[in-house]
Amino acid sequence: MNTSHAAGVQNQKTPLTVVLLGNPNTGKSTLFTALAGIPTRVGNYPGVTVEEKIGQFNHQGQVIQLIDLPGTYSLSPKSPDEIVAVNVLCGKMPGVPVPDCVVVVADATNLERNLYLSSQILELGLPTVVALSLCDVADEKGIAIDVPLLAARLGCPVVRVVAPQREGIGTLCDCVLAAPARLPAKPSGLNADLAAISAGHSQPAREAMARYAWIERTLDGVVRKTGAATESFDAHIDAFLTHRIWGTLIFVATMLLVFTSIFWLATPLMDLIAAGMDAVTLLAESILPAGALSSLLINGVLAGVGGVVIFIPQIAMLFFFVALLEGCGYLSRAAFLMDRLLVGVGLSGKSFIPLLSSFACAIPGIMAARTIENPRDRLLTILVAPLMSCSARLPVYLLLCGAFVPNVSVGLPWLRLPALVLTAMYAVGVIVAALVSLFLTRTVFRGPPQPFVMELPSWRWPRAVVVAERVREASVSFLKNAGTLIVAVSIVVWALVSYPHNEQAIEKEVTVVREGLQSRLATLAASDPDRGTINAELAALETVDGLEAARLGAAQRQSFLGYAGRCIEPIVRPLGWDWRIGCAVLASFPAREVVLGTLGVIYNLGPIDTGAEEGSTALVRRLRAARWDGTDRKVYTLPVALSIMVFFALCAQCASTLVVIGKETGSWLWPVVAFLYMTALAWLGAFATYQIGTAFL
Amino acid sequence: MLALHEVAIGASARVSDVTGCDSTSLRLLEMGLTPGVSVRVVGAAPLGDPLELELRGYRLSIRRNEAARVAIAE
Repeated sequence: MNTSHAAGVQNQKTPLTVVLLGNPNTGKSTLFTALAGIPTRVGNYPGVTVEEKIGQFNHQGQVIQLIDLPGTYSLSPKSPDEIVAVNVLCGKMPGVPVPDCVVVVADATNLERNLYLSSQILELGLPTVVALSLCDVADEKGIAIDVPLLAARLGCPVVRVVAPQREGIGTLCDCVLAAPARLPAKPSGLNADLAAISAGHSQPAREAMARYAWIERTLDGVVRKTGAATESFDAHIDAFLTHRIWGTLIFVATMLLVFTSIFWLATPLMDLIAAGMDAVTLLAESILPAGALSSLLINGVLAGVGGVVIFIPQIAMLFFFVALLEGCGYLSRAAFLMDRLLVGVGLSGKSFIPLLSSFACAIPGIMAARTIENPRDRLLTILVAPLMSCSARLPVYLLLCGAFVPNVSVGLPWLRLPALVLTAMYAVGVIVAALVSLFLTRTVFRGPPQPFVMELPSWRWPRAVVVAERVREASVSFLKNAGTLIVAVSIVVWALVSYPHNEQAIEKEVTVVREGLQSRLATLAASDPDRGTINAELAALETVDGLEAARLGAAQRQSFLGYAGRCIEPIVRPLGWDWRIGCAVLASFPAREVVLGTLGVIYNLGPIDTGAEEGSTALVRRLRAARWDGTDRKVYTLPVALSIMVFFALCAQCASTLVVIGKETGSWLWPVVAFLYMTALAWLGAFATYQIGTAFL
Repeated sequence: MLALHEVAIGASARVSDVTGCDSTSLRLLEMGLTPGVSVRVVGAAPLGDPLELELRGYRLSIRRNEAARVAIAE
């Protein structure tokens, strides 16, 4: 204690750098929170997708900078996680000082395997403290550990900790302060162990055998098990949960619960946020004088902020469940159950939950890919996750299916064609994702098979602190990292839709619209069903609201967006689209569901609520009456509706998803790749759908 | 010579060697599948793969093609 205090006073000015290292599932993050609280910095190490987490705390006047390294089983550098761990420990990581002390977190319930990493760290010769974590679980299981004997054998301090109850935290801090003054003894007898092993085995096998021989000797008499019953209890739960029938049923039920929760439970919260944003928008409209500035603030900034905050309920809900499943040990069982299904397309069992969540929204899904340790599997999962049909595509599917797919039964009386088409849209996403994943594993990501060597941790109760921290971290990182960029994208799109703005040109176009309608009416037969729609449209132009809507539509058609829509018309023509659809698709880049609202404005309906019955029927009526410019040919036919739906099933029209891909992979290359490949596939899919559709229908 | 994926579910076996020197073999060794250790095959996933093992007081899941690298003593 005296030496520790002296060292503390001496180094008061310079903070001590302490590294936290341990196997996965050892309660390392709980210990981090208990020591340093909320991290001061979370990000990626330069160039790799390995999370960098740094916190700071004060013990006896000494500032300690705590670096949390990703959970690893070993220091032999095979994966990016292990390479980062080795570089940080050896002081070779740019921007990270050489550690003054290493805290090795070892799971008290499974010391034998946990000491493998400890043996490697002790060999580095850095000041080391071993923290025995999950001691309360070990007590429950009747595992007794002779801590002083273990410390003597390891040659470094060993501290018993129960992080959620803060037991042993103070002692651990004292040991950390004292550690730099005394170097640990190197593991004794390791070389002798190595020499004693027959040369018949490979070099890696001999090293592993020597380390485990050393561990067995170190633990001899240190660990005493009094409760053999609990082990078999664990095995019984596993046998049940991985059972062919019961295991599958429980799995399906759990996944249904998770999925419906993020899909339906988050909806009231999202509605609440949307209502709140609407109220703020109304307030802003009433306070601000109408003009460019208020339009920027309301349609650019506020719309962008609303578009960011709206994701929080789903992200929080998903991470709540992920943390719960991870905490009790079911997450790795779920990966175990699903692995066979996904390995065929080049993914692994761990991709299941991120992909399933992407059916609600790709953003929490991509963020949930953090639970995949293997970097190749993680990147592949992130790249195909946006192909799962998310809830933003559903309104587009529903509107077009309802309006343009004939409501006839196919084969069975209850099997209606619109429902079949809707199901097909979901299937298209899944099938294309499987094909893309297969293609990528055979080309860009070709390499040795990725191992699926995964620990199935003991069953235990999830810790409330860990669950809360996981939810907080995911939400904050989304708001902080992705949020600002999403708002920026929203402002850019606002500018493209709002400018250039020429009052005279707008007036002129409204007149052209009126004259166009009148001349069409004159050519139509008295019995033509479109007469009613055109008459209604003409009548609307005489009202204040209708005229305003027509002016808004004219302004949008004359904006950069309208110009761009006309420019890309040759590209979208083969899909059966006119330039207005092209415009609406371009405008839906911030979020897919925007396409319906944009179509409403383009067809002079003004800013209608297409989610409401009234708005959607008004839009459908306009779409049905739409004709190719200067002709009598309908724009929206069944092949066109199908072509739009297939495009939306496959396209990357979601700026938020692209931003999150960039943030989660730590590179802007991957969102570009995702955007390009998805847009190309969407175009090809829509092209094939339209061409085949017109040939057969 | 028999390999771990051929062991009946519920049965135990003693590892005699891990073939290969790549990262997968190294990972298997690090996780404790070293020559001489006793392993019990607890079960398999409903679709037949991967396998659940019990060794050194904890449970580990590996795929059948990985288990094929682990030779066992008869």
